[in-house]
Amino acid sequence: MKPTLYQPINSEITDVIDESPTIKSYVVVPEKPFKFDTGQFVELTLPGEGEAPFTPSSSPAETEKMEITIMKTGRVTGLLHECGKGQKVGIRGPYGNGYPIDDYAGKEVYIVGGGVGLAPIRSLFLTLVERIKDFKSVVCRFGAKTPDDFIYKNTLFGSWQKIDGVDMKLSVDKANGGWDGNVGVVTTILDPKDVDISNAVAIVCGPPIMMKFATLKLLEFGFQPKDIYLSMEKNMSCGFGKCGHCMIGKYYVCKDGPVFTYEQIKQYPNIWD
Amino acid sequence: METILTSQLKPFLDAVAEEMDLYVPRKSGAHYVFGRYDTSSEKAIDFNNIRACTPVKEFLFPLRELAAVFPEPIEPEEIQPFAVFGLKDCDLRSLECLDKVFLEKDFEDPFYVGRREKMFVISGDCFDPAESCFCNIMDGKPYPDKGFDLNVAQVTDGYLIEIGSQKGKEFVGRHSELFTEPGDDALTERDRIRAATTEQLEQNNAGLKFDMPIRDIMTETYDSDVYDIEAKTCVECQACTRVCPTCHCFYLYDQKQKDYFSKMKMWDSCMRMTYAQVAGGENPRKVLGDRLRHRLMHKFVYFLDRYGLQMCIGCGRCVDGEAGDIDIRAVLKKLNEEFKNTKVAK
Repeated sequence: MKPTLYQPINSEITDVIDESPTIKSYVVVPEKPFKFDTGQFVELTLPGEGEAPFTPSSSPAETEKMEITIMKTGRVTGLLHECGKGQKVGIRGPYGNGYPIDDYAGKEVYIVGGGVGLAPIRSLFLTLVERIKDFKSVVCRFGAKTPDDFIYKNTLFGSWQKIDGVDMKLSVDKANGGWDGNVGVVTTILDPKDVDISNAVAIVCGPPIMMKFATLKLLEFGFQPKDIYLSMEKNMSCGFGKCGHCMIGKYYVCKDGPVFTYEQIKQYPNIWD
Repeated sequence: METILTSQLKPFLDAVAEEMDLYVPRKSGAHYVFGRYDTSSEKAIDFNNIRACTPVKEFLFPLRELAAVFPEPIEPEEIQPFAVFGLKDCDLRSLECLDKVFLEKDFEDPFYVGRREKMFVISGDCFDPAESCFCNIMDGKPYPDKGFDLNVAQVTDGYLIEIGSQKGKEFVGRHSELFTEPGDDALTERDRIRAATTEQLEQNNAGLKFDMPIRDIMTETYDSDVYDIEAKTCVECQACTRVCPTCHCFYLYDQKQKDYFSKMKMWDSCMRMTYAQVAGGENPRKVLGDRLRHRLMHKFVYFLDRYGLQMCIGCGRCVDGEAGDIDIRAVLKKLNEEFKNTKVAK
């Protein structure tokens, strides 16, 4: 029988990683291999309770399992936070358009991320690193509320900093013991000299307020709206441009996005709300 | 198209109902609503002058349906052929819009597809249009010329039936005893009624004129205050989206059953406060006027740009259905005025 558009793929949570006080990562194993492009999203169903959209944080090169990082925000994510290993879940997707990374070849990739926005960025980062020589450089500027609020701490504070071709700087809104890095919102570590803007693309993902101010900053630096890629978070429900909940102007975020250039959506009001 | 004549409606409808479930419009208060036709008890059927109040979408995309069952998927219920009588040109054009969405390549909705294939469409000519009807402004007519299996028009001698598809032709072939060749008088009479109804619609809507295509007016007046002002009388009853035959937003939700889980699909409304809200609380359309604008922009601009046709068919159901006082015609008229004034000012 051909599965319907609405049928989730049966999957199981095989591991749970505590990332921060409000964020956990889940290793999800679907019953059959699952392919996606970095930046695309899935609908994760907690059977009988509801579903919510997430962009996997793992590399698309891995199809046997995927990682999904979830912040406790609403009803479904609250219930997911109660789940442990062995929990049966469902996955629908992948949906939408991811990052057009082939278009980034030969350029500097300037990634600005904040909070749980590092989840889609991790998938992108891993994808870029797998073919790092294709890009002039990968420049990361990440922020979190406090050092404890950073997710993927082990790699973020460790191996990722040492990759050839990667330039990484971190910032926290509020420091606590042992933090010797920058203190301030992520835009305070953005510098027009970070990249050659004429040959760079920028990627922004994080809480709406951070995305707004990071985008404004990048525009101020001279980035063209067409070179700023935003991973938009809206109320994606069906995943294929029919149910209407995620519309921004003429776009269905689920189908035409979730990755948009600022050029595409700048005409619409309230895109950050 | 081939046209035949039948003297009475009942034997014709009985013949349909013997083959499949048949739904017909019946008067309920001031409006028609669809109900199931029963051959044994059915008395004279009204030939409805205008569209029913209930939208045709309910036959293809029901208010609530089972979208998925898991962990073990189940075979979708097999849809039996069914017929709907008394649909009008506006209804058929609403089907064109819904087809664009639910029959879209790569994302076909299997439930919609199943029902659409099994639906036998018996449309009819309009006569005596309602005050709220404005199909003529939205490129429609009071009679259909495509999109039906059979189309019925009432004349003095009985009912003229136009055959619009192979399915319709086969039905007529199976029941040839019910039909005769129409005389030229009957055909002329139909043309006369059609012209008179068109004329009546034009008179009713003579005040509704636009200086540019609606798409352009709405794009130009995007920042207009008209939406906030008009939305003041909206009580968020969502009737406009329920009765609208082209509105197709839906909501997916999960339920625990005894020994399985289900995913349900239910009509939703973009006029609802939390419709676009995300779990974190952000909501791009918190303000009612923004939601009204989005709804109308979707109808006249976004859908047109995406699918090549406008998503308002001028049936006027939303005008009849409102608990508040928003009249889509008045909103469009005000936007046109504003458009004109800005042009003059420039």
